[in-house]
Amino acid sequence: MPPFPMLRGRFLCTQSSTFFFNQSSGGRRRPQWPIKQVTKSNFSDSLDEIKNHISNSDFVAVSLQTTGSYSSPWHRVLPLDTPETAYLKAKYAAERFQILQFAVCPFNVRVSNKLTVNPFNFHLFQRDELKIGAPCYSFSCQPSYLAAMAREDFDFNVCIYDGISYLSRAQESEAKHQIGSSVSSAFVAQTSSSRSVADNVFVERIKSRVGHWISACKHSDTKTDDALVNSLRKLILGGDEYGSRPSLNIDVCSERQVQLVFEMVKSHYENVVPLTIAAKGGGTQSVRVVLTSSKEDRDLLEKDLKNMEEEQSKRIRGFREVIELISTSQKPVVAHNSLNDFTFIHSKFISPLPPTMDEFRNSLHSVFHDIRDINHLMKEVGPINKYTNLPSATSYLKRKFFAPVEIDIPQKASMEECKNHGHNVVRISELFARLCFILKLNPETVNQNPDGPLLKLDSNMFNLGSNGFQETDDISVWTHNPRKISINNLVFLWGFRSGISAGKLKNMLCKSHDVLSEDEVFDVRLVDKNCAVVVFWKNGLSEWFLDAIGSGSGDGLRELAAEGLMAAGYEAYKRVCKSEILGADLAASLAEIDRDHIEESAEVYWNSELMINFDDL
Amino acid sequence: MVVSEIVIPKKQKRNSSKGCELVTCLNSKLKSGFNLVFHSPLLCVIVFPNAHITLYPFTPARPPVSLPAALGGQSWGHEEVSESVKEYIVMKQRLMVRAFSRTLTLVQSYRPSRTAFSTASSSFAIKNVTKSNFDSSLADLRRHVRDSDFVAIDLEMTGVMSSPWRESFEFDRFDIRYLKVKDSAEKFAVVQFGVCPFRWDPTKQSFIAHPHNFYIFPRQEIGGDDSSYEFLCQTSSIEFLAKYQFDFNTCVKEGISYLSRAQEDDVRLQLHSAHENEPSESPYTAKEFKDVPLVRMADILFVDRMKNKISEWHDDLLQIRNGGSHRTQEDSNDSSDQFQAIFFKTCPSIKLNGFTSRQLRLIKSVVEKSFKDLAYIRVNNGSCFQQIIVYTNSRRELELLMNEAKESHFKVAEMKIEAAIGFRHVIDLLSSEQKLIVGHNCFLDIAHICRKFVGPLPSNLEEYAPLVQKNFPFIIDTKILLNACNILQLKMKKSSTSLAKAFAILCPHIASGVDSFGSAHNNPVAVEVQVDDMRSSNWNSGAKHEAGYDAFMTGCIFAQSCNHLGINFTSHSTLMKEDKLQNYINLLYLSWSSGDTVDLKSGQTRTESSSLNVFKNQQLKILFPNIVLIWGFPSKLKAREIKESLTKVFGLTSVTSIFHLDKTAVFVQFIKPELVSDFLKLKSTIEKKKNDAIYVLHPFSDLLEGGRTGAACYEVYKEICGSPISKPLFADQAEAITVNLDSKRLESMAHKTDSFAESESAIDTKTAETTGEILGLASC
Repeated sequence: MPPFPMLRGRFLCTQSSTFFFNQSSGGRRRPQWPIKQVTKSNFSDSLDEIKNHISNSDFVAVSLQTTGSYSSPWHRVLPLDTPETAYLKAKYAAERFQILQFAVCPFNVRVSNKLTVNPFNFHLFQRDELKIGAPCYSFSCQPSYLAAMAREDFDFNVCIYDGISYLSRAQESEAKHQIGSSVSSAFVAQTSSSRSVADNVFVERIKSRVGHWISACKHSDTKTDDALVNSLRKLILGGDEYGSRPSLNIDVCSERQVQLVFEMVKSHYENVVPLTIAAKGGGTQSVRVVLTSSKEDRDLLEKDLKNMEEEQSKRIRGFREVIELISTSQKPVVAHNSLNDFTFIHSKFISPLPPTMDEFRNSLHSVFHDIRDINHLMKEVGPINKYTNLPSATSYLKRKFFAPVEIDIPQKASMEECKNHGHNVVRISELFARLCFILKLNPETVNQNPDGPLLKLDSNMFNLGSNGFQETDDISVWTHNPRKISINNLVFLWGFRSGISAGKLKNMLCKSHDVLSEDEVFDVRLVDKNCAVVVFWKNGLSEWFLDAIGSGSGDGLRELAAEGLMAAGYEAYKRVCKSEILGADLAASLAEIDRDHIEESAEVYWNSELMINFDDL
Repeated sequence: MVVSEIVIPKKQKRNSSKGCELVTCLNSKLKSGFNLVFHSPLLCVIVFPNAHITLYPFTPARPPVSLPAALGGQSWGHEEVSESVKEYIVMKQRLMVRAFSRTLTLVQSYRPSRTAFSTASSSFAIKNVTKSNFDSSLADLRRHVRDSDFVAIDLEMTGVMSSPWRESFEFDRFDIRYLKVKDSAEKFAVVQFGVCPFRWDPTKQSFIAHPHNFYIFPRQEIGGDDSSYEFLCQTSSIEFLAKYQFDFNTCVKEGISYLSRAQEDDVRLQLHSAHENEPSESPYTAKEFKDVPLVRMADILFVDRMKNKISEWHDDLLQIRNGGSHRTQEDSNDSSDQFQAIFFKTCPSIKLNGFTSRQLRLIKSVVEKSFKDLAYIRVNNGSCFQQIIVYTNSRRELELLMNEAKESHFKVAEMKIEAAIGFRHVIDLLSSEQKLIVGHNCFLDIAHICRKFVGPLPSNLEEYAPLVQKNFPFIIDTKILLNACNILQLKMKKSSTSLAKAFAILCPHIASGVDSFGSAHNNPVAVEVQVDDMRSSNWNSGAKHEAGYDAFMTGCIFAQSCNHLGINFTSHSTLMKEDKLQNYINLLYLSWSSGDTVDLKSGQTRTESSSLNVFKNQQLKILFPNIVLIWGFPSKLKAREIKESLTKVFGLTSVTSIFHLDKTAVFVQFIKPELVSDFLKLKSTIEKKKNDAIYVLHPFSDLLEGGRTGAACYEVYKEICGSPISKPLFADQAEAITVNLDSKRLESMAHKTDSFAESESAIDTKTAETTGEILGLASC
């Protein structure tokens, strides 16, 4: 057989060459940036380092590597989600999965497009370091996430053996109550309210007691007593030693008394330092006053105490120290998928997630007042949707715009491929710098001018899915046809043959009723293989449809309902998202919620009937 | 590799026993880099200078054995092989150790009948099995299991309890114990699976053990949704594994995946239905599928180009067919990269290389729209799919082709499913061989095996027991054996029956590595361990809490126990028919601490009265209808205070016992069941009159402080334990469940309380308030 000659098309030649270019740039080649890997062993050194970098930087980029993000396809934030349901979904994930890597990258962008980055990648593993009951009892893992990390040669052993532990703010205050041994010199002085008679009596009593004790201590200093006399004196005076210094414990019965003792000591005795000793279950058990020999000695003691407290809280906070550094620096935080990342951050480092989006927004704002989302900025440049992952977004910008960015990494770190993780955080920084250039935003000025355009665009706004909603009840479902739809016009359908296509489903519905057979009445999209969403382009039709399916008014619809087709409005979906367990299958969850709903109404009926019976009696 | 044979004269062959000259001669040849074949009456040696040495026994039936086995194999009677050959081989071996380690796995297939190189104190590594050596290990394991007398197993999991209150409590009923185990088996993953077949060797009077340590990981290899693969990790368990140097990297990267039988059925069903539905969706029957809309300029241009190119090829093809002159081939290299002319089943076709999926879709639509005699099909060549355009003479031929392609897709998919079964092959092996399975406190292990490799667990113990029986008809738990059997209890000297402890006490000759034929042990059972081709009679890898080693320990304990019971291993064909074991077979601990056991054969549960808990049971008789559950009270309240406030209302002797689930939840057992409903009623009454002075003064005010206190009868506890939700604090869990339950439960409870309401209304004055109370009770 002779070979079949091919066309020598010139255009094909060019086609293929551009194609190969695309392929190579789109291919997953891992860039080699030196990123400092931080584990338990080098954490305290790195903490000082990152502290300096954060205070010298304009922005801080963050990126997380978690053990999973959604358990089921419909658990992802979908275009049909309102901000509220999107938040609930993100909350659900953040509460179940765990963070294994937390990359932080303080960076500066200069007008010359020079990007200076200082990337750190922290390996985390939350364990019960204080032995007070695990802060994280258990967490979920998605094998696909772990497998993806394994492909990048992530070392799970290092992470588990040597990962940095941490406590959230809420867990810390709980832990302090529980360990209760904390000695603190910092008593928050409240505004001194007027003293009652009882207060005055108490203060006078304590004052004289402390006075006696001080003079006794000073007196005894001059003589060298034998052990018996010393212990007798201790017994009588109730004195004790605090380190090498003499001290006295004063029992108190209220926080008010603690305050009185502090005030009294500070005003009357110069060289005495008061400390609170916390009770086991929280609160203050007693006040300990420590006598120092001079003013210098007092300063020394106070400094020691402060250091000790810091050490202790560092030990308790662990990695959260970094979060606190970012928070107190008030630098804008740049993230790629901010809703997911910050629900995780809030739940792991601040406190359990609140039930609503608004509460979450407020709570988060008090910690990070300026959050910028790359996805949101990308929307300003072009049609988003497709460029949801970082490398593709970068290559898209590279192709479409001229935005040269020179990356400079001053720090030296291991370039060993298997130990070099956390590249995304550099990608985020790079992307942010490019976007600033393209959008003609001057990062330096933006930072100084809080009303700059950048801030208005994306401060504390979350990119929810791919839709740019304005009102909470409007969403856009169709990416090709970005129309705002009220959620009232959406109906969820299930109970059809698994794996059917949206087109077939639409056909089926078209044939079922005259109203539905007209053009441009509705459209169908699959949410997962057992559940679809129907959008009605006209208001009011969704209610009609739900009624019709429920009562089986039309012949065709009745037939469908008889075959098991079920429908529910957006309310049911909202309720599913709010429930404790989202369920792997949306159809099953909707059916469950729907059934509960019906039973609820049955319950009312049952009640009223009972009441009538009693009336008859 | 070039293998050149040196022909050795027959005379020399026979003389090879003393053939030093020959060997020297061969050595000189070797140095020059030749490959060599050395024939001797017993042996031929093939030396590949760059790779490895293989020794072939003379009998052709024997498979090849590589060097390490042969070197130790003096037993072969290789004395004939001259010393210099041995020396040479040893020298060569040193250089090639690395090369050999790979071939090592192949060696196991052949084993000399009498191996005499078991060393005095060897501690070689356990056989670790990952996905890279799974297939070969499985083949070995099949043989070992078939020959074995029993198989010991052990599992390592990512956790045990999904929340603290899911641990086993004294107040748990049998059905609740099962629910707790079920929850654990459903949520956590198995990461290591130890299998250790034991075979009695009558000639040696010793057991031969083959410990295997499988790393498994629930990686999704095929179909299904990801959610079924998600698993929970209990932080403390992960730390525990870390403490014993568990290798998480090996587990995630190299772990063997698996499909349960139920998953396999699902995937097959999907495949079959897809296979059947495909014809209706082929381009000739249904055209309802939308083509890729040509919106982008680039797409339109691309489609145009493709159309030109394909039609050119098509026209050329026809010209040739019609006997016309064919063009000379002068294609540019680039395009032939993408369009490669091939023959597909004798049909001229072009192979499409390096297009994006979008471009391929466009090409597909062009082919389908514009060329009637061309077909776009996807074929499978080995590992990946390949898109080709085929020219066919007739519609019929085309359909045949399409069907053929489809069949091959189907076959490939079937093969993929077969491969995805992975570790379940081991379970299927254990199940089909019907061997005696030995575990230590293995109720949870068995539940994991059923959940992971068979299918979803039934909702109650009565259905679960037959499921286990069907798959594993003979299970023996060494913990039961040690606790229930008097002879063994004596041997154990009432010490703890934890695995490591029991091993140390019963098998000191293995545990400590010293042969102690002293007074403590009169008749130790010899256990020889074989890993690949290494053997040891007192092997001790020492890696506790490694599934393979734990399984080995369990097996040793069982063997020793049988010995103490006076079971003769030699005379019996099967251990499970042994009379002395009948009382223990298929008996498992539902909960070891309470001594609750379940007989898998009958599904019967009972409480063992072992020495440990007989005392406890006498002290307290648990009556479930008398129990009320209270949660959500202030955590400062201790059992004493709760008891006080309850006795103030119901009388001094009304409360039998109080048991803390966690810091804000308790079980309270009343002296009689009516007090449960009395309490629930009273509670709801007080809650309604929250603002009255009586509320403040009432003895319950402490208990109800904060307004988040809930209470319910024991049945609700079952609902709470059966729920897939796992909140760390019991109060939160109970809150979440009862809120969901409210509507559902109400109906069923209504019937229960119906009769109750009637009797109540007969006594009480029929006020509306009574109704309210009854309703309140129901909603609890």
